[in-house]
Amino acid sequence: MPANQPLWLRVVLKVERAIGEPVESAVRSDHYFELISTTTRVRRKAQGAAEGVSRRCLHTLNLPAGSDIRNMRQQLARMERRLNQLSDEIADQGETGPRPGNGR
Amino acid sequence: MNPKMPSTLNPADVLQRINRDLERSVLRARNGVRYVRGTHRPSLGTTPKDVVWRSGKAELWRYKGGDRRYRPPVVIVHSLVSRSYILDLRPGNSTVEYLTAAGLDVFMLDWGVPDELDADNDLERYVDWYLPRALAAARRVSGSEEVTLAGYCLGGVLAALYAAGHDDARVRNLILMATPFDFSQMGAMVGLLREGRLTPEEMIDETGNVPADALYSGFYMLAPTTEVAQKATLLENLWNDEFVEGFQAMATWSRDHVPFPGAAFRQLVELLVRQNILMTGSIPLGTRQVDLVNAQGNILNAMAERDNVVPPAAVEPLMQLVGDPARREELRLPGGHVTFGTGRSAVKHTMPNLTAWIIDHSDPPS
Repeated sequence: MPANQPLWLRVVLKVERAIGEPVESAVRSDHYFELISTTTRVRRKAQGAAEGVSRRCLHTLNLPAGSDIRNMRQQLARMERRLNQLSDEIADQGETGPRPGNGR
Repeated sequence: MNPKMPSTLNPADVLQRINRDLERSVLRARNGVRYVRGTHRPSLGTTPKDVVWRSGKAELWRYKGGDRRYRPPVVIVHSLVSRSYILDLRPGNSTVEYLTAAGLDVFMLDWGVPDELDADNDLERYVDWYLPRALAAARRVSGSEEVTLAGYCLGGVLAALYAAGHDDARVRNLILMATPFDFSQMGAMVGLLREGRLTPEEMIDETGNVPADALYSGFYMLAPTTEVAQKATLLENLWNDEFVEGFQAMATWSRDHVPFPGAAFRQLVELLVRQNILMTGSIPLGTRQVDLVNAQGNILNAMAERDNVVPPAAVEPLMQLVGDPARREELRLPGGHVTFGTGRSAVKHTMPNLTAWIIDHSDPPS
């Protein structure tokens, strides 16, 4: 710690380390890992349930839900990926394949 | 009388100190307002460059500015989880700028920001598709038969797999910077995944990728209270324009993560984290088995001694696993994970050491 630091800063840095070190070891503990995995699962379940309710409501009104848009985006992405793959293959063949008229 | 106390109080000194404190208070107020408003943000990644190859989101940049005296060119392969401008953060504090100024021909392979289209990108896609094409472009543009391949963080894993998995790799030198090999030493970053408490599917969102926020949270939780110390240090140095600029640049980068492509993430978790497969020295890639000992070129394993993202213990085993044992060298640097790109320690140690090693292993100017 540089000696020319003002007293208030030295105090803040010391307090931060005093609190930070136990916090850092806590976030490496099994309890913390359990907490995070449980929270993640609960959040995803709650999100899924809320989405299900809103989807049914929107579908009753014949409106698309967020999940419909998402599915459509995924389908479009799959199609675009396939197109990119094909154009890559064509470009590769252009670079490495036999050229027309070269007699081989 | 206390010997440390001045015997007399010099009025000129007192006046000078009051003046200095007043000036600093004015500068603190000005910079504080700018910081809160988010104006006067520093420009990042400003070394001039040309895009020489592009495929999907991936781009290969060639930096301008130097006289390119040495061969082969240096191609930096960036990580999949962060933005590449960390290696070119600010003028005067940039590894890319330093290497370029030393006469090296520097390229950067940047992966861009993945979205739904990249969700299927797996390790094979990076190692067997992007890398061969990008390196062919680097060779073509530079007119060199070989390259010096430098991978940073996970980019180092990709670079090592490429150098080991391609007979025609033509890698003169392979530099691995903070490259994780022993994932059992990666600590909290991978703890949740290693022990199966979370599955990859639980982290992948509707785009098919791991969202950038999840990655940021992972890094943030390595040292959750450090931000308090950083903000307090900023407050003390708020009068110093250069300090504020550097702080803003680092703060911007450390929050600026990119989504991790889902397919590569699944492989990373299953092979690298759970099976810790790199420690066996061999990894399945596509239809073949890649033996890391086959990696071509002179190997430099560079690690940062205070790296809490990829600790030295996770990097050290590389010295027993990658490439020809007679051509392996180790470089230990003071500093943390970002010392490969920026910071006082980078300017003092990383940049000169890396540059000297590369020049020593390059062709001299003709």
